[in-house]
Amino acid sequence: MSTSTSRPPQVYRRGTWARITEGLRYGGGIGQWSWLLHRVTGLGILVFLIIHIIDTFLVVAYPELYDHTVAIYGGSITGLPTSWSMNGYYWPLRWAFRIGELGLIACVLFHSLNGVRVVMVDFWPRASLHQRVMFNWVLGIFVAIMIPVSIWVLLPLRHAPEMHSRVITSASM
Amino acid sequence: MSTAALASDMRTLKVKIKRYNPELDEAPHWEEYTTEADPLDRVLDVIQKVKWYQDETLALRRSCAHGVCGSDAMRINGVNALACKILVRNVKGDTLTLEPILGLPVIKDLIVDMKPFFDHYKSVMPFLINDEPAPTTERLQSPADRARFDETTKCILCACCTTACPPFWSDNKYVGPAAIVNAHRFIFDSRDRGAQERLDILNDAEGVWRCRTVFNCTSACPRDIKVTQAISEVKRALLGGSIEMDRDPLQIIEA
Amino acid sequence: MAYSGIGRKVRPNGGFELAWWFFMRISGLMLVFLALGHLTITHLINSVENINYAFVASRWADPQSGWIWRLWDLTMINLAVLHGFNGLRQILWEQILSPSKRVIASTIIWGLAAVLIIGGSYSILLFQENREYIQKWKAEREAARFAQSARHIQ
Repeated sequence: MSTSTSRPPQVYRRGTWARITEGLRYGGGIGQWSWLLHRVTGLGILVFLIIHIIDTFLVVAYPELYDHTVAIYGGSITGLPTSWSMNGYYWPLRWAFRIGELGLIACVLFHSLNGVRVVMVDFWPRASLHQRVMFNWVLGIFVAIMIPVSIWVLLPLRHAPEMHSRVITSASM
Repeated sequence: MSTAALASDMRTLKVKIKRYNPELDEAPHWEEYTTEADPLDRVLDVIQKVKWYQDETLALRRSCAHGVCGSDAMRINGVNALACKILVRNVKGDTLTLEPILGLPVIKDLIVDMKPFFDHYKSVMPFLINDEPAPTTERLQSPADRARFDETTKCILCACCTTACPPFWSDNKYVGPAAIVNAHRFIFDSRDRGAQERLDILNDAEGVWRCRTVFNCTSACPRDIKVTQAISEVKRALLGGSIEMDRDPLQIIEA
Repeated sequence: MAYSGIGRKVRPNGGFELAWWFFMRISGLMLVFLALGHLTITHLINSVENINYAFVASRWADPQSGWIWRLWDLTMINLAVLHGFNGLRQILWEQILSPSKRVIASTIIWGLAAVLIIGGSYSILLFQENREYIQKWKAEREAARFAQSARHIQ
């Protein structure tokens, strides 16, 4: 028997990493990118949803801890609301939460608009003929809403939070 | 345009091919070739030129070379297509990138193992089912009823759609767009009586419900079948329990 | 004999995956209004920096409109958790193919979803305004503001 240096024939099966990188290089166009964005924004919203349900649970269980957490959202390290005292105010914290808030709004808005497009493709028989136009509408509405919303959400960052900020609750305040 | 003018348009193309030799390689690697190509050459001609004059070890599948047999499906510049249906003049840039289609095991170079694909195709029973007594003449059908599934009869089983589908890339249990198209061809055929059985097969997590309406299949189909739409029609038949035979007449004209 | 297929009926299939597919579309359409409305109220009309226990209490414990807010939040939380975790399941099912691993993954997914639905519904339905805490909070706020202005004057 002659010895062979070659290995017996086999097939190449792509691993997870190869599937992801080769898949991302696929030139699928609008449909593929909207699908990927829908998935990424959906996962982002889910992560936020889990955090948000847990912090809302604090409203019932530990009101102090809830106010403490919310004050941190407002940029306070000490957990004392910035509308009371500016002692623990740390602007990068406030900026990070504001930008994160804007990201959340963007995720929910895109997921909603693209979700409506997906539902239309599923239920309106002629929709799949117009899916590209529909995606342009999704993008158009998204940009049209996000521009004023971004300004509105980011504008308060120009100044430090007002100490005696607007009282938003009813007579109990 | 005269032939002389065309001949002067010869382009130098860099051809990047993802090679895999099962006897030597652990994983595929890229190899580059340079060749002259006429704008009216097809990509298949370019590959044949490389194989015949530069590297005879290059392996690919091809048969009719006229877009009918569906054997030379590959990824051309990132998108699934038949190499015999893409002209060199439609290739953007000076590089032609060729890879085997995704989602199926690679046997050698551009050849993939099509067995999983055909197993999915067989699973939807792609043949006429009708146990009623056969008439003495043909089973006749009105032109409108024939037009209802005309588009899905065009499938040549090249696997361009199924291997363009992101869910299929990772989930090889998914039946895939091509199998659903071929199920659609019989479900919406008024002579067929097996719609219920096919719908039962497709009513599964690995059936039509794995479809995420990515539309990669529709844009990859070399026969211009509106694959995503066909899948949506099967979904609606499952949901509503009736087969929409009276499709919008406008759509029949467009198709 | 011509075979006419007009109006052919088949048995509606039903089934687990079809039901989930339909649920994703219906809940998605409802969440478009519920979630975007919720975002508009909490992030645009009000500001996250002003939201606190007293704000939540004023909405949920209001004798007239409290039930509307509670119903809104309850519907939203349940639909969103089911919609989100089923979406996660569908993503994972493309990656996890072995049946035994899918059982483990479902257990984790639906266990977490159940905890969140029970916890969230509990907070919304059984919430009772803690007046004592709000009074204490107001007093602390006044003290903090007084201390702050005193520091300003110096």
